[in-house]
Amino acid sequence: MALILVVDDEFSVAEVLQSVLADAGHEVVTAINGRQGLERLRERPPDLVLLDFMMPIMDGPAMLKALREDPAHRDTPAVVMSSLPESVIAEAAKGMYAAFLRKPFKLHTVVEVVNAVIDRDAATRE
Amino acid sequence: MGTDQTGRPPLERVPTGVPGLDTILRGGVLRGGLFIIQGSPGAGKTILGNQICFRHVANGGRALYVTLLAENHARMLLHIGQLGFFEETVIPDRLYYISAFRVLEGDGLAGVLDLLRREVQSHDASVLIIDGLSAVEDTAASTREFKKFIHQLQAQAAVANCTMFLLTGAKPVSAEHTLVDGVIDLQTRLHGRRAERSLQVHKLRGSGYMRGEHSFRITGDGIIVYPCIEALLADPSAVDRVTGRPVGTGLARLDSIMGGGFPHHSTAVLIGPPGIGKTTLGLHFLSQCNEHNRGLHFGFYETPAAISDKARALGLPLEHLIEKGHVEVIWQPTTEGLLDEACHRLVDTVRSRGVRRLFIDGLQGFERLATDRERLGHIFAAFSNEFRALGVSTLYTSESDLIGSVSGLPLSGLSLQGVSCIAEIILVMRYVELRSELHRMISVLKVRDSDINSALHKFTINNKSGIVIEPDSTGAEKILAQAARQGGDLGPTTALGTGHGGEA
Repeated sequence: MALILVVDDEFSVAEVLQSVLADAGHEVVTAINGRQGLERLRERPPDLVLLDFMMPIMDGPAMLKALREDPAHRDTPAVVMSSLPESVIAEAAKGMYAAFLRKPFKLHTVVEVVNAVIDRDAATRE
Repeated sequence: MGTDQTGRPPLERVPTGVPGLDTILRGGVLRGGLFIIQGSPGAGKTILGNQICFRHVANGGRALYVTLLAENHARMLLHIGQLGFFEETVIPDRLYYISAFRVLEGDGLAGVLDLLRREVQSHDASVLIIDGLSAVEDTAASTREFKKFIHQLQAQAAVANCTMFLLTGAKPVSAEHTLVDGVIDLQTRLHGRRAERSLQVHKLRGSGYMRGEHSFRITGDGIIVYPCIEALLADPSAVDRVTGRPVGTGLARLDSIMGGGFPHHSTAVLIGPPGIGKTTLGLHFLSQCNEHNRGLHFGFYETPAAISDKARALGLPLEHLIEKGHVEVIWQPTTEGLLDEACHRLVDTVRSRGVRRLFIDGLQGFERLATDRERLGHIFAAFSNEFRALGVSTLYTSESDLIGSVSGLPLSGLSLQGVSCIAEIILVMRYVELRSELHRMISVLKVRDSDINSALHKFTINNKSGIVIEPDSTGAEKILAQAARQGGDLGPTTALGTGHGGEA
């Protein structure tokens, strides 16, 4: 079981992801923008951050940048979700995320990608 | 900056970029204003909101789209992505999508206002869409709190010079309507089994606008609005030039009967039963076109290929004129069209091609498209004024139901309601039955300000030269006399039906 931080301004998306990841055996905390995401992360460091790209207050790239500049969390893997193509995300957040999920996605794909990134991160640490 | 007639600087407008809508809004909405777009589910609010954003961005602006309780962004972009105005590369730099629902849930109306202020500022947005205003209303503790929210939003729009649109469900006049700068209402009406979308502007502060209902369609390119054509053409776009030489009909005999042809830039109506040769006369009329006098065949029942075949069979040079671009043939089926869409198509083509000879085959096509037939008289009158002002000579056909007419009452059984007011010229074609043969006759009933020969003339249609009219009325008189002697038919005889099929 891993602790996953889901950061998405869309209520419906965050709710569904929380349920799906919980069913897959993970614990999930949510935040509605990047700033709140950083607060949650500092309260309780997650094993993975699953975050949206376009959000109010602080968007995905800004949160990732803050994450990578924080020595305590710079290695926390992140998965970016967006309706936009990955080329847009790669330009804004190059080298700062482990995987990309294009919305709308199949829920089992989310679980597969999240598990794969967590496993890879664990293997790297070993 | 320019000034209006009062010497004050004109109010700055933001075009919506939606075809037809800016005509209704006299150029767009006022910059920094707050507007409601309302309609029932499926009315097209989200498409309209997105279309406004993409067009605004395409013109160099920046836009922010905020959802409350609405379709999620991924689904919405998937749907919008199918439409022609969608341009993925402008997201996220110039067009940004966020949800404010969780802020509304957590921090209430004040939280949403705070969020919108920050986001408009940080994205430098000059257009803001808030999709799902009803969620704000549902969250508000009282009507007063909701009105205060609208009022504060309006202040934000003015201070930030950001034009804001609130998308919400259809409702009668309510509190927010009195506060905002304009209300655009999207509706779907059922006419029998046919659903027609319409748009109505209920209010536009500080500006005139076209009142009434305007049809619109959601196409692959987004929303296209067709402003009510008779209102649009209320004032002709050019000054009427009333003098000039008569315009030849393409039939020298007919010209001679009318004293030279159709009066300069006039409107003629040719009435007759199916199959008698109305379309053929129209093809003669168009065969006189050249590069300086372009023609348009606007028909409802025959395809361009069928028209070319018919002209070829009659030995008329129309195909050649079509190939050279001197004549255009437009086929407007009556099965799924909108009346205003067809009218705009006609007027736009006449204007863009500089048409001088216009043949409309026939009036009943408009009737089939109309959901409100009372409009037709106004539309035809507006057409006549506009086309005359543009220097166009127009020939309409109108189908009569009856094969013949009552002796001494040549128009008995024909509906001329609304025709005489638009037509300076009325031509009638009719059959006369003698023994086992139907003979074709033509007469000129009315020509504005002219002495006319209104006698019946016999005519035939042959494969080499189309319509051939006899030089005088001797042949017609002979047939009529024989028919009278045999007690033959000059009465309101066999109905040929009301179909609108092809003609000889």
